[in-house]
Amino acid sequence: MNTRLMTSAIAVGTLALGLSACATDTTTTKSGVKVIKDGQLTVCTSLPYEPFEFKKGNEVVGFDMDLMKKVAEANGLKMAVTVTGFEGIQSGQALNSGTCDIAAAGMTITPERQKAIDFSDPYFDATQALLTKDKSLNSLEALAGKSLAVMSGTTGELYAKDKAPKTVELKSFEDLGLQTTALTTGQVDAVIQDNGPLLDFAKKNPDTFVTAEFQTGEQYGFAVQKGKNPELLASINKVLKDSKADGSYNATYKTWFGTEPKS
Amino acid sequence: MAMTPRKRAQVSRAIQYAVLVVLVLVLAFTADWATLKAAFLEPALVAKQFPEVITLALKNTVLYTLGAFVFGLVLGLVLALMRLSSVGPYRWLATGFIEFFRGVPALIVFIGLYFGLPTAFPGRQLPGGTFGTVTIALGLVGAAYMAETIRAGIQAVPKGQVEAARSLGMTQSRAMVSIVIPQAFRIILPPLTNELILLTKDSSLVYVLGLSVSAYELTKFGREGLNDEANLTPLTVAALCYLIITVPLSIVVRRMEARAERAR
Repeated sequence: MNTRLMTSAIAVGTLALGLSACATDTTTTKSGVKVIKDGQLTVCTSLPYEPFEFKKGNEVVGFDMDLMKKVAEANGLKMAVTVTGFEGIQSGQALNSGTCDIAAAGMTITPERQKAIDFSDPYFDATQALLTKDKSLNSLEALAGKSLAVMSGTTGELYAKDKAPKTVELKSFEDLGLQTTALTTGQVDAVIQDNGPLLDFAKKNPDTFVTAEFQTGEQYGFAVQKGKNPELLASINKVLKDSKADGSYNATYKTWFGTEPKS
Repeated sequence: MAMTPRKRAQVSRAIQYAVLVVLVLVLAFTADWATLKAAFLEPALVAKQFPEVITLALKNTVLYTLGAFVFGLVLGLVLALMRLSSVGPYRWLATGFIEFFRGVPALIVFIGLYFGLPTAFPGRQLPGGTFGTVTIALGLVGAAYMAETIRAGIQAVPKGQVEAARSLGMTQSRAMVSIVIPQAFRIILPPLTNELILLTKDSSLVYVLGLSVSAYELTKFGREGLNDEANLTPLTVAALCYLIITVPLSIVVRRMEARAERAR
């Protein structure tokens, strides 16, 4: 075979490979739920977000992950976790591009996000909280002239943009890990985030404090691709409802938060 | 099959064209253009990116890149001369620096500088805020690459040039500054431009530093737009803005090269 024919052959081969890689066929399980990979429930999440999702050894564990395992079991599937950026999750791109079946990332249900993704029933009540090293910084007003770390694409960022005085310098970070490191190394004066992970962080780092919580009435939901997977959505909602009824939701809650949920 | 070599070449070329055409057609017909356009090029959202994408994002990208390039070029020249020095410790120091910053991902250099310095020296930060940090972090990485380019350029200047300069009574360093380095830079113009283009793109790594809105560059600006709109159009706009910087740069350099060629 001469080189030219070889190049043509390679070109055709690449084309075939490329096209087969593009095809994102979904398969359907016995329970009628569509998944991108046979026998597997692929979950997108964004790390670190202790205690909702974080790495322990080589495994991603946490409150969200335990609930996801229940959803996978209910459909006879195995759970697999794909770690992606939060902005891809909240903008719906991770689901639309066929990266995963379901997104579980401690994500607040908001009207803007609902335009891009379908949310399950709420499974967790959250508030925004302030983490600082200085106990006197206990409100957004007290931060005037100081810097505040927000995480890109989160409701905390929106809340700070909306409510903080104009003299507060907002610095946007990629993830919770960079936010908290910026605080501990003195690059920012405070961090705004959902209360769950911040309370957890303050517990483990005695020189940091959660000095304020803001009731925002936020609720977390799991997400599936907009308009494409009502069966999976129904299955998630059923699992949430059943686990609340049989007490296993409370047990999982206690595992990760140390207390039973207030209700 | 009896075919003259010429005939065979023609047939083979025809096959290659056919494969290319088929490839393009298959892509053109199988792609979901409507969805693609809705996700990547929504006219209403394109309009929404202006004027900030230029006045803020493009401006910052250019500033960060130039800062890093100038810092990197100066440091790179020093490092190149150190590497060519006859004094051992200079050579070892420069080699160590180059191996480290060329071998470590720029992202890690950014994080290391941003979080490492204030940890090592509590309460201290790099001067110049975000601009200062980018200039130094990206400049260190750029310097490592440019040092090697400059060294190669200096070594490519014919030895006779130095000998001629010396015989005219110039000192070694005089000959270096007036004769060798100017010629070296003419030789390495293309790879230096490459480095400038790479730095332009790497300036997007600034996103790992906490950024206030006024410090957003093109990529961060585009991603923030992606967050707000749940649509990829802002990233497309950012990508086009990068081309506004890099394509003319390539053209200018090609012209300069052509002129240098003629002047020979």
